[in-house]
Amino acid sequence: MEALRNALDFSDFPRTDLYVVAVAALFLLVFPLFPHSSFAMATMIQFLMFSIYGMGWNTIGGYGGQVDLGKAQYVGIGAYTTAVMLVRWDIPFWISMPIGMAVAVCWSFVLGYPLFRLRGHYFAIATIATSLVLKDLFEVWDFVGAARGLEISPIHYDPPDFLRLIFKEDIYYYYIILGFFFLGILFVNGFRKSRLGYQLRAIKDNEDVAASLGINVHWAKIKTYAIATAFVSLVGSFHACYIKNIEPEDTMSLHISILIALMAMLGGAGSLWGPIIGAAVLIPLKSYLKEWLGAHAGLIGIDLVMYGTIIMLVSAVEPRGIWGLMERIRGRRRG
Amino acid sequence: MDIILSSLMAAMLIGMVLSLVALGLNIIFGVMDIVNFAHGEFLMIGMYTGLLTAQATGMDPLLTLPVAGCVGFLLGLLCYGAFVRFLLRGPMLAQLLGTFGLMVFLRNLALLLFGSEDRAIHHGLLVGKSFELGFGVIVPATKLAAALLSVFAFGSVWLLMNRTRTGKGLLATALNAQGARYMGIPTERMNALAWGIGVGSVTVAGALLVNFWSVNPYVGLLFTMIAFTIVALGGFGSVPGAFFAGLIVGLITEIPGFWDFLTFTLNLDWMSRVPMTSFKYTWVYLAYFVIMVVRPRGLFGWKL
Repeated sequence: MEALRNALDFSDFPRTDLYVVAVAALFLLVFPLFPHSSFAMATMIQFLMFSIYGMGWNTIGGYGGQVDLGKAQYVGIGAYTTAVMLVRWDIPFWISMPIGMAVAVCWSFVLGYPLFRLRGHYFAIATIATSLVLKDLFEVWDFVGAARGLEISPIHYDPPDFLRLIFKEDIYYYYIILGFFFLGILFVNGFRKSRLGYQLRAIKDNEDVAASLGINVHWAKIKTYAIATAFVSLVGSFHACYIKNIEPEDTMSLHISILIALMAMLGGAGSLWGPIIGAAVLIPLKSYLKEWLGAHAGLIGIDLVMYGTIIMLVSAVEPRGIWGLMERIRGRRRG
Repeated sequence: MDIILSSLMAAMLIGMVLSLVALGLNIIFGVMDIVNFAHGEFLMIGMYTGLLTAQATGMDPLLTLPVAGCVGFLLGLLCYGAFVRFLLRGPMLAQLLGTFGLMVFLRNLALLLFGSEDRAIHHGLLVGKSFELGFGVIVPATKLAAALLSVFAFGSVWLLMNRTRTGKGLLATALNAQGARYMGIPTERMNALAWGIGVGSVTVAGALLVNFWSVNPYVGLLFTMIAFTIVALGGFGSVPGAFFAGLIVGLITEIPGFWDFLTFTLNLDWMSRVPMTSFKYTWVYLAYFVIMVVRPRGLFGWKL
């Protein structure tokens, strides 16, 4: 009960922030009712998906300070569980999604136990290594379609199918992922104020001191890693139903892991709104850059060049991201 | 028997080049505790430099090494002065993602400039030639030359690090940057120099590698991971460690060869059905994970 109250309580933010949040939430709710292009709709769905990825990453990476660059493997686990179950045994999304989440969380415990004996850089590189190993495995595993991947062909189903999440119009997907998005915000808001959340911030500040205060550092990190994994795997499952065609390259490559970390980092790691701001800036930028520069002028890769430039600038100039920048401006105004 | 001898020989030759690849990463990490994700991209730049210089001037590809070395050295100084210097002030997350941004930037810049197709060297003094060592072991001449030259480059860097005043300055900066600054060592300049040497050595390795490895803009990540594994195995900050670890990782990349040998001698049906070649580098990633968990200090490490 107290956890629920914590999750619904946003009173520790300044009032102006809450007005902005309310306006933004209202916009998200009514956005599909206005005329829009299908491209804009796809971008919005991408934005919501990556916000949730970012929120998940933010629990371990932002609040806990453990730079995890291997989240893509859990996207893959979630996506593949849902896709395999739907294609082979016709199990609907609402059953396969929790199963995928459970598989991903179990796998995260298996990996997390040895991984969290490492610190800092060593941890970050090890997460990349484990993710790449899993991707290599999926690329030769025939049961999940090897490198060709799996395809969910919508002709077998009768859209709109709310059980299996097979729709013709993107608007259904939009509202489903929007629901998860709001739930995710509430969850992270509760997490922030929970015992584990405080323990994690203590660990981020100084691991040795946290341990001497009686916090079980190793176990706290593993638990948070599992929470982050659950978020990521959920969106992975959604990704399978939405994209309908999954292959190791676009669900499990390092690129995805980095994007996930980047959302949180650009917006401001360790703050509730950070990943959302990051995704709101980065995803439209990415889509439109690709659309305008990449497709029209025939310049392959220029969108990612600018992307890299943004990452470099942010990390060199303001490592706390856009949120940090806003805090700094606000602090100056106060005096 | 000749299969296993060939595999061993190939492992040793590629291992020597790989240890030169890892050396740069190790120096940069040792001196300023920063993990450089763009390392493989510098290798890619070295490969393109070697290839394009050879094609433009008609020189033998092996003679382009000094060009690649100079390009790498200057690029390293530039990266440090214009970018990495600012990263060092920030938290670890910013450093990791910062060099990652550099990696994305360089990789896609290469894609933009050179296109995504594979390119390889087809002409040269040694290209396509090979000789037999006996017992059925055939050594491609380019690989042998690359291995020998990389040992030479490795030795020069080792001498520079251990037998000169500058090297002592670098070592002092690595051990205790603040203390070194009090002793009058210009640590900023040492950091820049470490980037210069680090990137220079990896571009030289790239120019060697391009003699028998085709290059495309995506080649970097594989080598970044291999370099991380070698550095982890040899011990972060240890130069001789990088050399021996390079040889060991060379052996790991040849696991499919040994697997073929076992399949052939034991004549087991199930073994031939394992798609071992698609796991060629999986073992390297797995090795990194195991090393870090079992012995994070590596074989010769002094820094953790």
